[in-house]
Amino acid sequence: MIPTIEASPEETYDIELEQSLLQANAKLAKENRAQLDHYNITAIDFMGAIGSGKTTLIARMVGKMKHQLNLAVFNGDATTVDDVNLIATQGVPTVQLATVNGCHLDANLVGKALLKIDLKTVDLIFIENIGNLICPAEFPLGSRSRVVVVSVTEGPYMVKKHPHMFLGADIVVINKIDLAEVMGVKVSDLTRDVHTLKPDIKVIPTSCKTGAGLDEVAAALLAAKGSRSDA
Amino acid sequence: MHELSIVSGIVESILDFVAKHQIRKVLDVRLTVGELTHLEAEQLRFCYTAMIEQTAIQGSTLEVEAVRAEVNCPHCSYQGPPKYWEEALAMAPVPTLQCPQCGKATEAIQGHECAIKSIKYVT
Repeated sequence: MIPTIEASPEETYDIELEQSLLQANAKLAKENRAQLDHYNITAIDFMGAIGSGKTTLIARMVGKMKHQLNLAVFNGDATTVDDVNLIATQGVPTVQLATVNGCHLDANLVGKALLKIDLKTVDLIFIENIGNLICPAEFPLGSRSRVVVVSVTEGPYMVKKHPHMFLGADIVVINKIDLAEVMGVKVSDLTRDVHTLKPDIKVIPTSCKTGAGLDEVAAALLAAKGSRSDA
Repeated sequence: MHELSIVSGIVESILDFVAKHQIRKVLDVRLTVGELTHLEAEQLRFCYTAMIEQTAIQGSTLEVEAVRAEVNCPHCSYQGPPKYWEEALAMAPVPTLQCPQCGKATEAIQGHECAIKSIKYVT
């Protein structure tokens, strides 16, 4: 039995703290961003559900952009190294961010990953977040732009069911459009849902299989590299 | 379960506070949580109760105070509550960044808060 002490009103204190809990991560994200800016590096964070095609999309982008820019890729993965291997075969520096059981990357992990690459020789970093449509949104990493990848195979209600994720995104990629008809999913409906949440978001339908839309994604990522906006 | 990360931050802060002050018992911790965060009050309380077992603040309660979202429209100068998406599949209408007045993109000026507001204790 745990003894309980009942307080009398005169010895009870109620003090204001106003201590922000997301501040620790936000501060580290700012530090990451300052370091990236110092080396003129842009980081882009890719978020999306498990199996939405984040890794394949990043691999395609690496294939398209590695001759123009010096790239690096950070792969967040709870346990495996399969994803990072897929990218590493293309000859760009990669860092595996193993969260073990964590459901999101945080700025601290990304800061550690930045120590593993030669920042003087990198222009653009793709950060693949953990496959999850809820948790990563609360943890900025220091990236300049946040991309959310959804695929038609996740069904017609993907956006409606996870609205919060899209409020913080700059670019939404609707992937696997070659399967839209089979899935009975209308890409235009998903696009409309995204714009209902955030009218100025850039939506790009793609298929990593047929290559549709991939040039547009590469152009949007290059535009993010050029922009000065915060993410 | 990002609530767990947040709650471990809360518990760490409170234990730190308790260690630095003459405190006999922590009664109540009050959080302010914005409407635009992805934090569920029920899960926060559940994680809190689980995490404070066998610690110096065991038995204290976590109260979660909701902060409504507010947006500012750079296009038409609207400022106030956001437009809500009524047909979304959530339990409650979902706040959007669409301007209720002109339909263009707004910026959130309130609703992302997640802070320990106050702590009630006995010396």
